[in-house]
Amino acid sequence: MSEEKTITIEVDGQSLETKLGALLIDVTDAAGINIPRFCYHNKLSIAASCRMCLVEVAKVPKPIPACATQVMDGMVVQTRSPMALAAQKSTMEFLLINHPLDCPVCDQGGECELQDVAVGYGSDATRFVEGKRVVPENNVGPLIATDMTRCIHCTRCVRFGDEVAGMREIGATGRGEHMTIGTFVARNVDSELSGNVIDLCPVGALTSKPFQYRARAWELTRHTGVAPHDSVGSNIQIHTRRNEVMRVHPDSNDSINEIWISDRDRFSYEGIKSEDRLAQPLIKKNGEWTAASWEDALEAAASGLKEIATADAEQVGTLISPTATLEEIALAQKITEGLGSPNIDYRLRQEDFRGNSTAVPWLGQSIASLEHVNAALLIGSNIRKDQPLLAHRVRKAALNGAKIQFINPLQLDLHFDAAQMVSDPAGMVHNLAAIAEAAGGSHHLTEQIEVGEEHKAIAAELKDSESAVILLGNIAQSHPDYTILYGLASVIAKATDSSVGVIPVAANSVGAAVLGAIPDHGLNAHTMLESPRKGYLLLGVEPGRDTNNPALACAALKNAECVVAVTAYRSPCLEETANVMLPMSAFSETSGSFVNAEGTWQSFAGTTTPAGESRPGWKILRVLGNLFDIQGFDYNSSEELLGELKESHAGGLKITSLGAAKGKIRSVVTGLIRVGETPIYASDALVRRAVSLQKTKDARDATVARVNLSVASNAGLSDGDKVAVVQGEGRAEMILKVDAHIPDGCVWVPAGVPGSESLGDQFGELSLEKV
Amino acid sequence: MKVFIDYIKSLFLLELLKGLQLTGRYLCAKKFTLQYPEERAPMSPRFRGLHAQRRYENGEERCIACKLCEATCPALAITIEAAPREDGSRRTTRYEIDLFKCIFCGYCEESCPVDAIVESRTYEYCFENRGENIMTKEKLLAHGDKHEVQLAKDREAQAPYR
Repeated sequence: MSEEKTITIEVDGQSLETKLGALLIDVTDAAGINIPRFCYHNKLSIAASCRMCLVEVAKVPKPIPACATQVMDGMVVQTRSPMALAAQKSTMEFLLINHPLDCPVCDQGGECELQDVAVGYGSDATRFVEGKRVVPENNVGPLIATDMTRCIHCTRCVRFGDEVAGMREIGATGRGEHMTIGTFVARNVDSELSGNVIDLCPVGALTSKPFQYRARAWELTRHTGVAPHDSVGSNIQIHTRRNEVMRVHPDSNDSINEIWISDRDRFSYEGIKSEDRLAQPLIKKNGEWTAASWEDALEAAASGLKEIATADAEQVGTLISPTATLEEIALAQKITEGLGSPNIDYRLRQEDFRGNSTAVPWLGQSIASLEHVNAALLIGSNIRKDQPLLAHRVRKAALNGAKIQFINPLQLDLHFDAAQMVSDPAGMVHNLAAIAEAAGGSHHLTEQIEVGEEHKAIAAELKDSESAVILLGNIAQSHPDYTILYGLASVIAKATDSSVGVIPVAANSVGAAVLGAIPDHGLNAHTMLESPRKGYLLLGVEPGRDTNNPALACAALKNAECVVAVTAYRSPCLEETANVMLPMSAFSETSGSFVNAEGTWQSFAGTTTPAGESRPGWKILRVLGNLFDIQGFDYNSSEELLGELKESHAGGLKITSLGAAKGKIRSVVTGLIRVGETPIYASDALVRRAVSLQKTKDARDATVARVNLSVASNAGLSDGDKVAVVQGEGRAEMILKVDAHIPDGCVWVPAGVPGSESLGDQFGELSLEKV
Repeated sequence: MKVFIDYIKSLFLLELLKGLQLTGRYLCAKKFTLQYPEERAPMSPRFRGLHAQRRYENGEERCIACKLCEATCPALAITIEAAPREDGSRRTTRYEIDLFKCIFCGYCEESCPVDAIVESRTYEYCFENRGENIMTKEKLLAHGDKHEVQLAKDREAQAPYR
C-alpha cells in the first residue's frame, strides 16, 4: 500500500483530497470540520479510549472513532448525522456520570474542553441520580495541582509521560469505574517537562499549582513572547491581568519548541515578583546604600566610569549576562567602545579562552534536524536538564534508533538509551583524544593516548552513520580545557564526516556572539577578573552566581573604584561590591530580541510595565551613552535599534572552528576536582527566584555535594555528613551525599546555588573537610 | 359656528373646570402619601438594593471566587482577586463592588452559583468621603450578617421562580 497515493473522501457532503492511510480526524481538522475529542492529541499516540469522536461512515453499521480510523478512497463520512450525534451525546452523558459539577471552583472553568464539548454535543439535563465516584487527594509536587475526581481517563498525561517526557511517572491503576490516574506509589512528578500535562489535560484534573485559583481564562490578556532561559528560545504566551504576569503557556512553533515548554520556562515568571527586585536607583555613599533619583544615579554612574576611562580606558571592563537582549548587548558594546575600552565579554561561565574567540557557539544545524540524526556524540552536556527541549529532539532521534553517546564528568539519568563514558574532567579530554585517534584523526596532544575498544566503537558508530553530530554542552563550555575539547571534536567531526556544534548556554549566547560582544585584543570574562580593572559595567550579571569563579569575581569587583550594575535584582555580592545600582526591568517587562541555538532571531514586546522605577535595559544604556557623549545613541524604540542590528549582521551563521586542540591540559589535578555543574533551576537570576521551582526535586537535589563511595571512604566521610568544600580561600558548608553517578577523583559541587558564591572555578581543585 | 362654540366654552371657563374635576376627585379620595421616613412602602422580595455577601449557617462565607459575577457585570463594577486559603479552599482575597459604577441590574446575584452575592432591601445609604463608594469584602459580609434573616426569607420566596 503506497502511503503517498492521493485519494478523495467525502465528509458532510464536502469532498476532501488526502493521502491514503491518513487519520480521519487529521483530515477533518485540516479541512476545518470540527469533531469533538478528548483523548486524541496530534503529538501523542492514539488511544481511542474516550469515544467522543464517533462519526458515521457509509456502509459501516456502527459509528466509528475518527481518531483511530484511516481514510480509504471513496469513504463517505457524516459527522453530524442523527447516528453520529446520538453516539456523541451518549458518550458525553457517560463521561459526565462521574464528573463532578464543581466548575465554579475548578481552575479549568472557562477553558475546559469538557465544558465546551458538553455545551456543543451534550444533553441539557442529567438522568443520573446515583452516587458519583470520588478519588482521594494526591499531592504530586509543587508545580501541578491535582483533582483526580474530575479525571475523564483520556490518558493524555500518561501517554505524555511515556512518549515525550520519557518518564512513566503517571499511570492508570484499576479498571472500569475503579480506574484512577496517579503516580503509582505516593511520589512527586519530577520531570523537567511535567508542566505540559497541565495544557494536555482536557479537564481540571491537572492544573497549575502556582497559578491555582488566581485568575480565570477570560480575564487574561495574551502576549506572545520568547522564553528567557535555555538556548532553545521556546515560543511562549505570557498571560497578564491588570499589569501582572499571571502565567506562561507554550505557543506552538514546530521548528523550535513544537507545542511544549520546559517547567523552567513555564514557572519562572514567579521570579518577576520577587522581593529581591530592585525598585529604584541606589547609590552607595560611605558604604551605605541610599535611594537616589534616576538623574543622580545615572550621573554618578557616568562620571565614575568616565573618570576611569579618561585616565586609562583599558581599566574599564564590561560584563554582560548571556540572557540580556540583543538591543541591550549592542548598546553596552557601543558604550564600551565609546569609552575606548576593548574589554567586554558575555561568556561568564567559561574558563578556557585559548581558542579563536570569534567563533559563534551555535548548534551548527537546525533544532528540528536534531531528531533526524543517526548518531550523536555529546561532550560535557547534561542536555536533559540544561536544554530540556533539545533533549526531547535527541530523544526522538534515539527512539528512531540513533546511537547517542555521552562523554561527561558525571553519569546522567537519561530518558533515552545512550552510552555514557564517565570520567574526571581530564579523562574527558583523554577519551575524546582516543576517539579522535580511533577515527583516524590526529589529536596534537603531547600525552600518550590509549585507544580502547569503546573509543573505537564510538568512532566507528560516527563514521558509519549517515548523519552524525558532535555537540559540546554547558559542562564542556565551563571545562578548563574547552578549547581542546572543541578542537578534538572538530578533528573527530572531520575524520568521521559528522557535523560539530555547540549547545549555547543561555537564551542569547548566540546573539551576543553574533554581535561580537567579545574582546578582540582586550581582556575576556576571566582575565578581566584575574587582573582586576578599576571600573566595571555589569549588565544583568550577578557576580556571585553567574560567573565561573565567583570568589575571584567578587574580589575583583570589591577592589574596583567604580562598579555600575544595571540589574533587575539585588544580590549580596552586588550590594557588597557595586557603587551604583540601576534598576532594570525583568523578563516580560522589556521589548527585545534573542537569537536561539539555531540562529533564529526572535523579537518580543514588553507585556507589563516595569516594577517600581525600573526601566528597560536598553533605555538605561541609551541614556548612559548620551551622558558619556558617545555618538549614535538616539534610538526612539528598540525596534529602530533592532532594524540597524539586522542590517549590519545579516546572513546566516557559519560554522567556525575554535582552532586546533593544542596546549596544556589544565584539568589535571593532584587532589580532588570539582565538577561544578550549573543545576537547571540555578541557571539565571530569574529562575533562581521562582519560588515554586525552588521547591522541586531538581532544585532540592542541587544543594548538596556529591561523591562516590570510594572518594567518600578515602576521605573518611559518609552519606549525610556535613562537610566544608574548600577551594583556595573559598569555603562552603554542604551536606555530603554518596552518589555512584560521580566518577573517581571528583566532587560534584553545583554552581549558581546559594552558598556557592565563596567558591572558585567550576572545575577547579578542591578539598573536603568534615565539619 | 365653531367660533361661537369656542366663545361659549371660554366664557364659562369649561376647560378649567374639566381640569379642576380631577383635582376635586383626588381631594376627596383616600390619601396614599407615605410619611417617609415614619412610613415605608411595601417591598418586593426581588428588590435590588445595596449588595451583601452571605454566609452559611456554620459561619463559612459562601463565596468561592468563581468570578462569574465579575464576568457578567455589565458595568465592570466588581473586582475580585483570589488565592487558596490556608485550608486549600478557593476564596477571594479581595472582593470589591464600586457603587458608583454599579447599575443595580442584579446580574451578579443571578449568576452566583452559591447565592453568595445578593442585593438586599437596603436603599438608604450615602457617602460622605471618597472611597466609601467601594463595598469591600468586609463591608459586604457585615451587611449580609446584619440582614441574613430577611435575605434568607427573600431567597426562599423567590426559589420557585428561579
